[in-house]
Amino acid sequence: MAERDGGAELGDHWLKVGFVAPALLLLLCVNIFPLFYSFWLSFTDADLIGSDGVHWVGTRNYGFLFVDPRFAEALRTTALFVAGAVSAQLLLGYGLALCLRDRFRGKAALLTLLLLPMMMPPAVMGVFWKLILDGSYGVLNHGLAVIGFGQPQWTTDPGLKLLCLLIVDVWMWTPFMFLISSASLNAIPGYIYEAAAIDRASRWRVFRRITLPMSAPLVGLALLLRSTDALKQFDLVMAVTGPNDGATQTVSALLYQVMFRDGKVGMASAYSYVVLVVVIALASVFLRYLNSLRRPVAGAAS
Amino acid sequence: MKRTIGATTVALLVSLCAVAAANAEDEKSLTIWWAQWDPAAGLQELSLDFTAETGVAVDVHQIPWGSYQDQVFLEYGNETTAFDIVVGDSQWIGRGATKGLYLELTDWIAGAIDLDGIHPLAKRYLMEYPTGSGKIWAAPCETDALGFVYRKDWFDDTQEQAAFLARYGRRLAPPDTWEQFRDIAEFFYRPASKRYGAALLSGRGYDSITMGFQPFLWAFGGDWGDSETFAVKGHLDTPAAAEGLRFMIELLEFSAPGGTNADYGAVLNAFTNGSTAMALNYFPFFPGIVSAMGDKVGFFVVPGHDGTRAISLGGQGLSISTKISASQQALAKRYIAWFEQMSVQQKWITYPGAFTANKELLDSAAFRDAYPFNDTFARSLDHLRDFWNVPVYNELLAVNSRVLGQALDGSKTPQAALERLAMEHEMILRGAGLGAR
Repeated sequence: MAERDGGAELGDHWLKVGFVAPALLLLLCVNIFPLFYSFWLSFTDADLIGSDGVHWVGTRNYGFLFVDPRFAEALRTTALFVAGAVSAQLLLGYGLALCLRDRFRGKAALLTLLLLPMMMPPAVMGVFWKLILDGSYGVLNHGLAVIGFGQPQWTTDPGLKLLCLLIVDVWMWTPFMFLISSASLNAIPGYIYEAAAIDRASRWRVFRRITLPMSAPLVGLALLLRSTDALKQFDLVMAVTGPNDGATQTVSALLYQVMFRDGKVGMASAYSYVVLVVVIALASVFLRYLNSLRRPVAGAAS
Repeated sequence: MKRTIGATTVALLVSLCAVAAANAEDEKSLTIWWAQWDPAAGLQELSLDFTAETGVAVDVHQIPWGSYQDQVFLEYGNETTAFDIVVGDSQWIGRGATKGLYLELTDWIAGAIDLDGIHPLAKRYLMEYPTGSGKIWAAPCETDALGFVYRKDWFDDTQEQAAFLARYGRRLAPPDTWEQFRDIAEFFYRPASKRYGAALLSGRGYDSITMGFQPFLWAFGGDWGDSETFAVKGHLDTPAAAEGLRFMIELLEFSAPGGTNADYGAVLNAFTNGSTAMALNYFPFFPGIVSAMGDKVGFFVVPGHDGTRAISLGGQGLSISTKISASQQALAKRYIAWFEQMSVQQKWITYPGAFTANKELLDSAAFRDAYPFNDTFARSLDHLRDFWNVPVYNELLAVNSRVLGQALDGSKTPQAALERLAMEHEMILRGAGLGAR
């Protein structure tokens, strides 16, 4: 009997290993190995089409990063983009969720329509929006001309280019913020509001003391997801203004330029690692903040 | 019985393999990669003659301009390339030569084609690396230059001529200097009636802004740098160069909205939509304009300044990939030798947008009369100059798009932009081991 139990334990163990191994192997091949390999490449002069081998250059690539004016500009553009896009999406998405919180006729159809933009592939949407925003032939300028407005050069005017990308990104991803915000608002138990009503709390006080803190953890998570996604912004930039436009060159666009146009694999790897460190640092700070939000709410609930 | 069936099966298999091998031997083919435009379609058609003569099928694979460079160099990242011949941009030649991508043709080409019959500037910029070294990596395929297309019907209009004469004291005619060009651009700039003076190359993708700025840089006395020492400061950041950039920015005020960020396609659109008087572009785009607008259009050579005229070279050469078999390389050489023959070049220039580097043909009446822009093209060739064709050309182009773009957008003065550009160019060139560290 004992032998059979021992055999069963061994069998279970190997069964678990058998189930997990393919996924682990895949993860190792497509995630972990490239991660370490690119870390090694970041200390070399690897070239996309190089015929004279790969040579160790120490921290030269990382050193160059600090004197490359493109990198600082791309970081600034990315920061502007993330701050502008994510805050607008948060305000609009959360606002919409608050407005559409109550039940009403046709709500399901309206919600479906609202969610459509985020279902579309960003690259395709970028191409569509480029056509819409075209200064000469775009539908938008055509409409503006009909009602007597000027003809802004959305995709070429240096003051409007980044704004254009922001508008498209906000249009695409506000539904995501709305979706998460709606879920977080619906998760707040009704009896808390009933208690607040008995205490004759004002609407503002209910919002500030109940709605906002209780929905904050989930909305914060959405904020984190959107921020990390916006930090990687590439598709829209590529489709609307191209990867080498100084006014809209995000870090990902610069990486594409360095990697695929300049062919500098080593340098692109170094740039990627710096971006990775920045993303991890930001995410850690944000997660700590989210945890700090959760504690008082949990305390209040208990 | 079993033995007989086995022997028959083996015999059948052997003969099938032999037939297949013989067919593979017979079905020789060449693959050429080029950008998607009229000349590539012409080359495909012309290559049917090569197939008829040799039995070698030729496939000219066309890739949209926007992704052409990326696709070619990504392909070079493989052990073997899908193309045998690539029609590479003039700037690629340094990268192709130093990275071991292009087969060196120096020894072979001297005996295969008539080098003396090729226009010296086409030889210098489309074939050699380092420039002027005599080391050859490509044979001319599409010799190209920037030129202007203009609204001949507007210029010929008697009312317009009288108004121009009254305002500027001279006849309205295609300009010879940039100052004359400025006057004409200003004259036709009538935004209220959606009519604009000029469309210049100023886009931020690939090399549009660089090609558009070069004629001003060189004509006003600046340069990209010293081709021997690779020194940039003192050439690109001089007051003369800044004056060239300032003049270009001034001209852009007479362009249609969006004119400060217009790539090749946008410039074409600005002209073909009937709103612009003069547009700068490469000659192979002009057949399309002629077929759309007929005799409403004329052509003129890029203007000069103070007796100096310099025109951005375009065009591509036929280069053989090093990442193919020796037999395919031999076949590719056979194709190039065939293509450069006088009789083939005579037919080549009959295709829309196809231009030759053959001096005899360029001087011939047959060429000059073939298309309305051919005479202007032939007169442009003696003024050709090119951007750096060093291996790091693409990084230099990218910096140009960014920094010159800032000057065109008004966020940097011309002088400050060129000083920044000179600093960044030197940094890139030194980083690539070119010039003194």
